[in-house]
Amino acid sequence: MRDEDSTLKKIFSDWRVIAMVLLVVFSIASIYLLPPNFENGVEGNLQLGLDLEGGSWIQLSFDSEVVRFSSDMTASEFASGLSAKIDAEVIPFSADQIEIRKKMSEDELREIFDEMGAQIVSYDEGVSPETADDVKRILEDKVNNLGTKDAKINTISGMNGIVHYMRIELAGTDIKTAQDIVSSQGKFEIRIQTDGEETDHVLFGDSVTSVSRPQQSPPGSGNWGVAFTLDDEGAAAFRASAIKYGAVSNPEDHELLMYLDGDEVYHAPLSTDLAAKLLKGTVRDLSASTGSGDESLEEAQKLEIHLRAGALPVDVSIAGSGSVPAALGDYFKMICVIAGILALVAVGITVYYRYHEPSIVFPMVMTNVVEIIILLGVARYIQQLDLAAIAGIIAVLGTGIDQLIVITDEVLHEGRVPSPNVYLKRLNRALGIILVAAATVIFAMLPLIVMDLSSLKGFAIVTILGVVIGVLVTRPAYGKIIMAILSKKPS
Amino acid sequence: MGKFTYDINRYEPKQMVALPAGLFIISVLFLAFNFFTTGMPIEPGIDFAGGISVTVFSDDSKEDIESYFSGYPLQSIGESINNGYYIVFQNMGDDEFRDLTDHVISEYPEAKIDQIGETFGKTLQEQALWAILISFILMAIVVFAAFRNFVPSVAVVISALSDIVITAAIMDVVGITLSLGTTAALLMLIGYSVDSDILLTTRLLKRKGKLEEKMTGAFRTGIIMTSTTLTAVAAMFIVSAIGNVVIIRDISAVLLIGLAVDVMNTWMLNAGLLKWYMGRGGRK
Repeated sequence: MRDEDSTLKKIFSDWRVIAMVLLVVFSIASIYLLPPNFENGVEGNLQLGLDLEGGSWIQLSFDSEVVRFSSDMTASEFASGLSAKIDAEVIPFSADQIEIRKKMSEDELREIFDEMGAQIVSYDEGVSPETADDVKRILEDKVNNLGTKDAKINTISGMNGIVHYMRIELAGTDIKTAQDIVSSQGKFEIRIQTDGEETDHVLFGDSVTSVSRPQQSPPGSGNWGVAFTLDDEGAAAFRASAIKYGAVSNPEDHELLMYLDGDEVYHAPLSTDLAAKLLKGTVRDLSASTGSGDESLEEAQKLEIHLRAGALPVDVSIAGSGSVPAALGDYFKMICVIAGILALVAVGITVYYRYHEPSIVFPMVMTNVVEIIILLGVARYIQQLDLAAIAGIIAVLGTGIDQLIVITDEVLHEGRVPSPNVYLKRLNRALGIILVAAATVIFAMLPLIVMDLSSLKGFAIVTILGVVIGVLVTRPAYGKIIMAILSKKPS
Repeated sequence: MGKFTYDINRYEPKQMVALPAGLFIISVLFLAFNFFTTGMPIEPGIDFAGGISVTVFSDDSKEDIESYFSGYPLQSIGESINNGYYIVFQNMGDDEFRDLTDHVISEYPEAKIDQIGETFGKTLQEQALWAILISFILMAIVVFAAFRNFVPSVAVVISALSDIVITAAIMDVVGITLSLGTTAALLMLIGYSVDSDILLTTRLLKRKGKLEEKMTGAFRTGIIMTSTTLTAVAAMFIVSAIGNVVIIRDISAVLLIGLAVDVMNTWMLNAGLLKWYMGRGGRK
C-alpha cells in the first residue's frame, strides 16, 4: 500500500504530468461545460465542419481584375477613360490601383493600356477589399432573409490584400438554396403616393442603371445617402408620375416609396431642389438620403443592397460548390468514430504483441487517448473539424504511438530498468529523437496553413496542434509515468 | 521476437541499397514520362482537374445509375461494399450543373455533391505542388540542422524523397488520383517517413556500442513503430473504404502504400547508406 502511494506521488510530482491532468480537465470542460451544451450530446461544443454537420458551400470567384498601373493621369481620370473604352465599370481605389469590373485577360488589357499611354504594373484577378466587403454585406443580407441559422462568409485574399475568392458556408441548407442566394435577384419597384394610402407604380428595378456606395452629401456633412442613376425611360416615367400626382408642388403628401419583393424598404418626399429640377426636365441622377449618424449609415448600406435588388456590384462565377445532407453528415460522424476506436484498438493489440506487459501497454494507450482528448479540447476554440481534420487526428494517433515506442525502447535498453540517473539521460535522448521527428512533421505541414488549400488547412492545423501537445506535454509525461511504474517492479 | 526474416546485419551496403535504388529510378522515369505526356506526374482527380463528384448510398445497381445519368458527361462510377457509389462527372456549365443537382436530388435526396471548376482546380493544383516542394525543403532543413553531419542527413533526405517518389508512382499505377486528400497524405508521409530514419540515424551515430547491435536494436524499435502506425492506418482504411468516405479512404490508402515503401527505404536504403558511411570510418 505504501509502495503504491509513493509511486503515485512520484508520478504526480512531475510538472508535465500535472500539466497533462490539468489539460485533460480543461479539455473536457471546454467541450462539455464552457458553456454547458448537453442537448448536443457527445459532440458538446466541438465545431464540426459542413461535411459532418450537413449543409452546403459555394466558393465564388469574381469576374473582375485589380490592376496597378503607371500613367500621367490620376487614378480617377484614368478609370473613367478606361471605363468608356471597354464599356464596363472601372473603380479607382488607391493612387495607382483600379478595379475593372469585367473579365479581361492581362494581354487584352495591355493593348488598351498601350493605346492610353499607360503601363500595367501588376495584374490580379479579384476585387478590392472594399468591394469584397460590399459583396459580403449583400450576401449576408440575403442569407439573413432566408433565416438560415448558421452561415459563414469568408474572403480568401492573396498576400497583397486583393480578394480572390469568397466562400459561403451554410449549415443545414441544401445546394439549390445556396445556388439561389448567389444568383437570384429580387424585384425592386418605386411607387408614388397618390392619395392617402393609395400608391401608383413608377418604375421597376431594371430602370436603375447604377447604384453608388453610401456617401455623405455634401461630403463631410455626416448626411448619409445612396446615389443612383436611372435610364432615360425610367427618368421620363419618374418625371411624368411626379408631375401627374402633384409631387413637385406638394412633396409631403406624395412621397416616393421603394419596395423590394413587395415589402416597403424606404420612403421619403421629393426634396425641394429635385422638385424644381423635375419641373424643368428629366433627371437621371438621383439620391436617397437616410439622415445623419451611424444608424443612418447602416440604413444607407441596406438601401444600397435594396436598390441593387440583391444583385452584386460585380459579376461572380461559381468556382466550386458542394453539399452534404444532414443525415449523411451523421453517417460520416459515425464512420469517423468507428475508425478512430478501431485504430486505437489495433494500436493497442500491436503494442501488446510487442511488449506483453500490461503495465507498459495500458499507460501507452491511455496517453494516446489523453492526447486525442486534449487535441479535441484545444481544437474546439480554433478549428472546425471536418473529414480531413479527422484524418489528421487519426494520423496524430499514429505518430503519437510511434514516439511512445521510441521512448519505451530507449529507456528499457538492454532489458533492465536502469537507475534514475541513467533513466533520465536515456529519456532525454529519446525526447531528442521525438523532437526532431516532430519538427519535421510541423515544418512539412506549415505550407498548407499559409496556402489556404481549402479543407487541408484544417488538416494541417490539427496535425501540428496534436504534435505540439504530444511533444511538449503528453509524451514526456508518459516517460515519467512509465519510469515510476517500472521502478517499483522487481526486475 | 525473431519473427522477421530480414537480418539487417547480413547484407553488404551495396546489396541493401540495390532494390530501393532500382525502384526509385524506375519510379522517377515513370513519373517523368507521365509529366512529359500529360503535364502532370500523377493523374489529377476532380479537386485539381475540375469536375463533379456525387456520393450516394442506394440499392440501385451500377447499371441503373449509369442509365439514370446517361444524359450527363459521366466519367466513372466507383462502388463500395456498403451500397455506396462515388460518381464522377466531367465539368459542365453553371446552368447544366444546376440541372444536374436537380436531377440528383430528385432521385437521391441524400447525396453528397461536390463541384470544382477548372480554373479553381488549376489554382489548387499549382498550390498543392508548391506545398509538396516547400514541405520537402523545410523537412530537409530540419534534418540537416538536427544532425549537422552531411552524409547521414543526405541519407535521410534521399530516403524520404524515395518514399514520396515510389509512393506517387504506385498511386498512379493502382489508380489513386492526386486530390487534396492525397496531397495531404503525401505531406504526412514526409513527416512519418523521417520518424524511423531519425531513430536509426540517432541510434547509430550517438549511441556507443557495436554497429551490429545498434542496427538490430534500431530495426526492432523501428519495425514496431511502423507496424503500429500501419495497423492504425489500416483500420482507418478498412472502415472508410467500407463506409465509402472517399477522402479518408484515399488518405489512408496513400499512407498504407507509403509506410510499406518506407520500411524498405529506411531499412535498406538509409541503413545501407549509413552502414557504408560508418564502414568508411566516418564516425564522429
